[in-house]
Amino acid sequence: MKHDWIKFPLHLIVHPYDGFWDLKFENKGKLRVAMTILLLMVVSTSLMNQFAGFLVNFNDPRYLNTLDDLMFTVLPFFLFCVANWSVTTLMEGEGKFREIVVATGYALLPMILVNLPLTFISRFMTSEETAFYWMLNSFAALWFLYLLFVGNMTIHQYTAAKAVFTLFLTVIAMGIIVFLGALALTISMDMYWFVYDVYRELIFR
Amino acid sequence: MKRKKALLLAAIISLCVLTAAPAAQAAAPYEAYTYNYYSDAVALPAPFLPERTVDGPGLGVGDFKQPNDIYVTRDGIVYILDSGNNRIIVLDDNWNVIRIIDGFDNNGTPDTFGNPNGIFVAEDGEIYVADTDKRRVVVLTEGGKLVKIVENPESEVLAENFEFAPLKVTADRADRIFVIARGVYEGIMQFDEKGEFLGYVGTIKVQPSAADRLWRWLATDAQKAQMVLFIPTEFSSLDIDRKGFVYATNIDVGSTETIKRLNPLGQDVIKRFGHYPNVGDIRYRTYGRESGPSKLNDIKVIGDGMYVVLDSNRARVFTYNDEGELLYAFGGRGTQLGVFNTPVAVEWQKDKLLVLDRGKNNIVIFKPTRFGKLVHEATALHYSGNTAAAVERWEEVLRLNSNYDIAYLGIGKSLLMAKKNKEAMEYFKLGMSRKYYSIAFKRYRREVMQEHFGTFMTTAVILIAAFAAFRIIRRVRPGRSAGHEA
Repeated sequence: MKHDWIKFPLHLIVHPYDGFWDLKFENKGKLRVAMTILLLMVVSTSLMNQFAGFLVNFNDPRYLNTLDDLMFTVLPFFLFCVANWSVTTLMEGEGKFREIVVATGYALLPMILVNLPLTFISRFMTSEETAFYWMLNSFAALWFLYLLFVGNMTIHQYTAAKAVFTLFLTVIAMGIIVFLGALALTISMDMYWFVYDVYRELIFR
Repeated sequence: MKRKKALLLAAIISLCVLTAAPAAQAAAPYEAYTYNYYSDAVALPAPFLPERTVDGPGLGVGDFKQPNDIYVTRDGIVYILDSGNNRIIVLDDNWNVIRIIDGFDNNGTPDTFGNPNGIFVAEDGEIYVADTDKRRVVVLTEGGKLVKIVENPESEVLAENFEFAPLKVTADRADRIFVIARGVYEGIMQFDEKGEFLGYVGTIKVQPSAADRLWRWLATDAQKAQMVLFIPTEFSSLDIDRKGFVYATNIDVGSTETIKRLNPLGQDVIKRFGHYPNVGDIRYRTYGRESGPSKLNDIKVIGDGMYVVLDSNRARVFTYNDEGELLYAFGGRGTQLGVFNTPVAVEWQKDKLLVLDRGKNNIVIFKPTRFGKLVHEATALHYSGNTAAAVERWEEVLRLNSNYDIAYLGIGKSLLMAKKNKEAMEYFKLGMSRKYYSIAFKRYRREVMQEHFGTFMTTAVILIAAFAAFRIIRRVRPGRSAGHEA
């Protein structure tokens, strides 16, 4: 229990090659844990938007919305997973969809571990010290990207170059999915209004 | 039946009350506003209300014809430049006609003006007229006698066939004359006290956009020859403050430096410390009627760092403080009292605002409301460093309008000076000033640290000691934890 929830995730973020290997082949990654990390990510984003110090918080408080934070964290997460799965399936990746979700979830952990305390500390910073805030913030993001890269490489058993290439393709695939989604939505809306208009024509005759 | 009548009566009374209340508020035909930190227009109580209009027949001098400029001295003497009638109407501060200058004695021969466009009156009473169609600047005494004429400027930097067509004019205490002339893109023309051309000040930089540069790069030489040259825009108006700094506006679409304050060296030293540039409107429609950025066609320095600019595009008035923060904006196009047809000049008479409307051939006099008066007083007091007195005004302003960021800033700055750092932080947060918030916070943090230094250190020492003791105990009795696990 303690091993699954605390020890292994913490081990993974500092020893990613080792950790992701165990995640895939020793079956140590748990979907429950990945989903909890995703949820914590939403919470930490929300807390950061709301409670980060005045000097670093440029959000308009009138438009802060936790549901938006939820949507803009969870949707891109699954969008990435789906896109990554679509690309890697075609490119001889060995990862299963579940493994992709779990690996991406575990990779988010440094963002939470850095951003939560940072949110607290940022309330005691003067504007000269905010440089550290932005530095640590970018550090967390880079750490996350590094984990994502190693995770991708290990899960799909890719070379480094191929992992970078597939990640790049994943971003493009995400764009395509969003485009197709928007297209489908527009067309179905048009169809709905067409049927609705025909119905109205009929009842007003 | 009785009850029904009573109900009806109540209904009628309530209807009267309900309709009467907005009618009383609708005295201003415009909505005043300012921009907040997020660049949203925030409604303000009207800072100025139209009092009345002044026109030619009302003054008993016959209709104005295309009046182009107006100038008010510090004593409140009004000079109206009635361009179409080629005359200057001089009025005292109660709007009684003192004299009409419709010509002057030019070395023995009577002379008149030719469609003059600009007028300025120096502190010693000398009248400067930009006599556009006669290609000269005429300087007259207070009584209308000729002092000198500035014409035919000669210099190597001027073209052979240069036509001097002055539009606006101002002069400093040393009698140096600054002239905006038609078709002169190099800047403001500067003349010495004898009328000799000295050179240009305040050249506007030209910055072709990326798209312009791309087109130029793609074009052939023949196409390039046909292209419009990148010519800077002309200045549109100018004024001078008591220190001899020239304020000027120009209509440079897309620029953030349409208002300039030029020091004697000709450098632009205006402060642009607001959250957005001081260019008039920052939110506007891109297409349709009254779209595009503001076109500032007049500026008036009203003292204490404040200046008013007039936007001819949407017929609005904007007042800024010395930091370049917008105090308020109001006005609009229309036929009612207080809105304009073609506003061409804005002036300041003691505490009243005058706007000359060429389209309506009249002058609208605006008198300050309690809100407007308080804002002006507080800004002036703050500018002269009298923060304590300014705070009283700012608090009053906040009672009238709690969305006024500048008031929070003003109070915050005075609290900071009084070393009330924690309260200052609160006000700077409300005024959305991160710069000052940081200063206040730094001081407050140091205060707290100094106050609680003992507690901090004691806690730290105790924690370290406890940790050390824990380690020692573990080392001395290693069997304990092992036994525990088993």
